[in-house]
Amino acid sequence: MRINFKLILTSALLTLSHSAFAQFNIFACEPEYAALAKELAPDARIYSATTAMQDPHQVQARPSLIAKMRQADLVICAGAELEIGWLPMLQMKASNSQVRSTDKGLFFAADQIETLDKMTNVDRSMGDVHSQGNPHLHFSPERMLAIATALTKKLIQLDADQAESYKSQLKSFTNRWQLASVRWQEMANELNGLKVIAYHSTFRYLFDFSGIEQVADLEPKPGLPPTSGHLAKLLKRASQGDITTIVVASYQDQRGANWLAEKANLSVVVLPLSVGGNEQSNDLFSLYDSVLDLLLQEARAQKLNKLG
Amino acid sequence: MKNFQFFPAALSTRLPMKLSAALVLSGFFPLLTHAQTPTLSNPTVSAVLDGYYQSDDRLMTERAKGFGLGETELAFSASIDDMFYGKLTTVFESHDGENEVHVEEAFIQTMGLPNGFSVRGGRFLSDIGYLNNQHPHADSFTSRPSAYRAFLGGHYFDDGLRISYIAPTDLYWTMGAEVFSGDSLRAADEHGEREFDSTGVYTAFTKIGGDIGIESSWQLGVSYLRNENGQLTPEDHDEEEHKDEHAEDEDGHDHAASYTGKNTFVTDFVFKWAPNGNYKYQHLTLSAEYFRVSDFMTSELHEEHEHEEEHHGEADENTKDYHQAWYVSGVYQFSPHWSAGLRYGKLDSQLQHEEHFDRQKLKETELSVAWHNSHFSTVRLELSHQSNTGFESAQNDNVLTLQYVMTLGAHNAHQF
Repeated sequence: MRINFKLILTSALLTLSHSAFAQFNIFACEPEYAALAKELAPDARIYSATTAMQDPHQVQARPSLIAKMRQADLVICAGAELEIGWLPMLQMKASNSQVRSTDKGLFFAADQIETLDKMTNVDRSMGDVHSQGNPHLHFSPERMLAIATALTKKLIQLDADQAESYKSQLKSFTNRWQLASVRWQEMANELNGLKVIAYHSTFRYLFDFSGIEQVADLEPKPGLPPTSGHLAKLLKRASQGDITTIVVASYQDQRGANWLAEKANLSVVVLPLSVGGNEQSNDLFSLYDSVLDLLLQEARAQKLNKLG
Repeated sequence: MKNFQFFPAALSTRLPMKLSAALVLSGFFPLLTHAQTPTLSNPTVSAVLDGYYQSDDRLMTERAKGFGLGETELAFSASIDDMFYGKLTTVFESHDGENEVHVEEAFIQTMGLPNGFSVRGGRFLSDIGYLNNQHPHADSFTSRPSAYRAFLGGHYFDDGLRISYIAPTDLYWTMGAEVFSGDSLRAADEHGEREFDSTGVYTAFTKIGGDIGIESSWQLGVSYLRNENGQLTPEDHDEEEHKDEHAEDEDGHDHAASYTGKNTFVTDFVFKWAPNGNYKYQHLTLSAEYFRVSDFMTSELHEEHEHEEEHHGEADENTKDYHQAWYVSGVYQFSPHWSAGLRYGKLDSQLQHEEHFDRQKLKETELSVAWHNSHFSTVRLELSHQSNTGFESAQNDNVLTLQYVMTLGAHNAHQF
């Protein structure tokens, strides 16, 4: 029997290359972008560097992240300096030139849209502010759709073979997102005009979208934890009686909020920062549903209280 | 970026030179304003201010008793083009009323090599051990462990070349090799007659690491350093001279290692934990390193030494041809504003004395408490207790240090 070595070799190499290269490798800095990648590239191998329980400003450039970035074909991050404390270190250590520049496999969500609160004159005495605007932009339905479209372009640029599949995924996502957006807009309308105290500018885009006014921040300055002096000021502000609730994100320390809530007789709503931030938030759709639902419940309870 | 012209002027000399550090700093400040909107890919400039008060001298440290400035640092880094990254770090130090400027880092690194390879050349921090590639300002204690002070001159940076590789595996695995001129790790040369190799130091290192669940991460490293110029030459000078040399060794400000040998092995381990993996509020860092510096006697010294031993009929008390040191440290951040650390370290060294070697021991315990107003400002109070045998210029006592470390300009990267 003649053994066809050539065939064996070719098939062996094919198997090897298949297992090593078949799966497109995506590294997401935050879980919301891992979730978006899953919508647009469901067959890719997707890894999220952080969870909804972690502060995305403060991440350790730890060995596992370096190892994951080393293998990545595409890195998706919020940008606008959110990851400035750790992403450059990861890029340096991972020695993966593919994901070092936005010309290739690096994608910043903030580059695709207009951010809110851009600053022309940033000074450290103002706290940990980002001159390129607020980077917590994943609660803006409109912006997320623009980001999804841009991300699909990036996926096609990097993985042209799958272009058709990416296009149809985007189409499906767009349809579902626009449909859901109508629902979200209705929910948001009911929230319009509410006044809240919140922790950091984490939900800036959500409040912008729903017309909620953040009248005060638990942080005395961006990035600095609440101090007793600052909380006393907030208590005074709360005594005006127009505040519906106190909003904190899933990763944030609730002690300051709880203290204020008790003193001012207010409620505290813990919103998921991102996908995985509570039981209900399994993807971007359920994340939006959950966040708006939690706020609506609170707003309705307040109304009932006032009537009663 | 007109202000660039300040660099060559300030850095044209490697030698410590007398000049007003403040003047140079003020020259750089326009750069800092340029750096107010650094992006992930644009130039970053940062200055670190470090000052202290220390109640007493400590062995082999660069900080002297009383008020003083630590390493006041000015760093500038950027991608040069799509292929290269460059960094320049100058350090202003002031000792005994003299101001010194030196270049601690001036390197280029490749950014575009395929398959996980990278090459770094110029002057840079060696990647051996855990702490060595980190800037001292990121430390949780005012001084490096005795192992670093004794064997690497605090932190080992040198002129050379590194090639490193990172494997495409889910388990972090990197390895590398370096070649250095090794000037600061040369053995003491009393007569200035010895012919040293101009390329004296070769290193090889590997590190592995990963996560345990969401909350914990670890890294384990093994390094080897070969020092062609590390072996001692036989001494034949008188006692007086020897004492002078010794005194300089113990509190010299030249970043030179106090003890050298031909072969150095280092193992290091780091473990970090944070609730939910969220480093904003609380986190714990445990680290430990072990150094063994061996073969510091040349063969003729060995023979002489053995001969002497036989002659005196002594047991194996002083036949060790190695120094060793280790430390363990734990640092806990209670809140964004407060952290505390405890470190214990031990050094076992042999001091050349005429034709025999005297054993030395140094044990140090440090307790440090730090207040952080933000990521950029730290005020630290440290109590350290040292007990030693065999060190002439030191007593067993407690040293209190009050230190501030503050960063201007670009955000410091959080290195693991």
